[in-house]
Amino acid sequence: MPDLLGFQRDFAAALRDRARTDALAPRLAGAPDAVDRRMAIYRANMVAAADKALSAAYPVIRQVVGEAFFHGLAREYQRGTPSTSGDLTTFGAGFDAFMAAFEHVQDMPWLPDLARLEWAAHRAYGAADAPDWEPAALAAIPPERQDAIRFQWSPGLAVVRSDFPIVRVWTIHQPGFDGAFEVDWARAETALVARDGFAVTVTACPPADATFTESSLAGATLGEAATATLERHPEFDLGALLARAFAARLVCGATT
Amino acid sequence: MTAAPASPVGTGIGLRQPHYREVFERRPALAFLEVHSENFFLEGGASMHALERARAAYPISLHGVGLSLGSADRLADEHLAKLKRLVDRVEPALVSEHLCWGAVGGVHFNDLLPLPYTAEALALLAERVDRVQAVLQRRLLVENLSAYVACRDSQMTETAFLAELARRTGCGLLLDLNNLYVNAVNFGFDAAERLDALDADMIGQIHLAGHDVVDDCLVDTHGAVVCDPVWALYAQACRRFGPKPTLIEWDTDLPALDVLLQQAAQASGIADREAAHA
Repeated sequence: MPDLLGFQRDFAAALRDRARTDALAPRLAGAPDAVDRRMAIYRANMVAAADKALSAAYPVIRQVVGEAFFHGLAREYQRGTPSTSGDLTTFGAGFDAFMAAFEHVQDMPWLPDLARLEWAAHRAYGAADAPDWEPAALAAIPPERQDAIRFQWSPGLAVVRSDFPIVRVWTIHQPGFDGAFEVDWARAETALVARDGFAVTVTACPPADATFTESSLAGATLGEAATATLERHPEFDLGALLARAFAARLVCGATT
Repeated sequence: MTAAPASPVGTGIGLRQPHYREVFERRPALAFLEVHSENFFLEGGASMHALERARAAYPISLHGVGLSLGSADRLADEHLAKLKRLVDRVEPALVSEHLCWGAVGGVHFNDLLPLPYTAEALALLAERVDRVQAVLQRRLLVENLSAYVACRDSQMTETAFLAELARRTGCGLLLDLNNLYVNAVNFGFDAAERLDALDADMIGQIHLAGHDVVDDCLVDTHGAVVCDPVWALYAQACRRFGPKPTLIEWDTDLPALDVLLQQAAQASGIADREAAHA
């Protein structure tokens, strides 16, 4: 009796595990050894799809660990975290957690943070284009209501904290980078990932800026975010931060 | 269903990221450009901008690889919704997907996996294609697959299955002649004979591509020039079905743009020659 769902479940089991082809084999034409060779083509396609999708999202990690090792990482990641969507631009969101737990990369403890940076950059690449907005619009808000301002940050903006020099590692692996390759491994860096037009930018973010931006991104008002930041970073200069943010067009709206 | 925009008769190529700049600067004479729909399931940014530039200069064909029309347990409505948004944004000349399944039990293999060609599968595919066409408000083209295994349950050929699907749903067919040839070699049938099951008005588009040979099996890589037997099939298809929008499809080991343009010119030459003899 034909049964499409049963066939697909058997096929899926055989794809994910060569040892589990018993149910599928009688449903396919051809000798068992020929079927086994043909199924190997599909298994290789499956890993190649994961490798290609992860390579698109994590080009720096691919350079750092090498193509062959990256292919192995893709295979292992897919085994534990298979794709759930036909849209592969969403595949790889858990690569940081995978590497935090994967025993063969424990000698590179900064890889999970670098993965979070690259995932943020990947998201920023395809984020909506920021609407035009002029900071002069803030002048229309009366001074007594300025604490209540909520900023609309440009789509894709993200703060990625790390105890490692992830911005430096990212920077020296960009196409066309021709500076020195030294990395100060003792340096902790927090990355600000943003879009500048169509380009994705990654810059080192001072600790106070990171706190303010994270707070504001999470929905805090200008007053709330500034207070929270000053509590932890008494040296915080709100005016300087806003000037930098406006110059880089990181803010694209404000409401009260 | 509203009528699709007029089909671009002539030859097109796949637009891939390494060729963006050169295509925009040279503006080669092509009937259309094709992209993979899923590469543009994005809100904005450089890729969407490139697609909009391409759309301003050429008709666009959106070729889907991830909808998994034949998944028995569910059709991914969220995927269809993303496709609908892209179709509304791009207003493509052609929209296509594959006669395949790719996901079951919540796991997606991101591959084009073969179906058994049974009455059960046909009923499911007809329902799915009806739904997709209702959501997109346009005709969908469904492509024949290259396959490496065949199901014993099959009650008809893939070509007969597609012809019946077209009759039931009004969908068009994307006839991939390389896939047909790959399967003819892999499973031992006569590719040219299979064309007899199809009517000219079913064919919405033709794909031409290259493949690899691995041991006793042809593997559809879209990474080589079109082979002679596939060119011969194309001449036969042109005679039988008349001129159809035809794509040179190339995805892996992407060569210089000129190689694609040369292949496109070769296809146009064959189509023109067959049209002159008609």
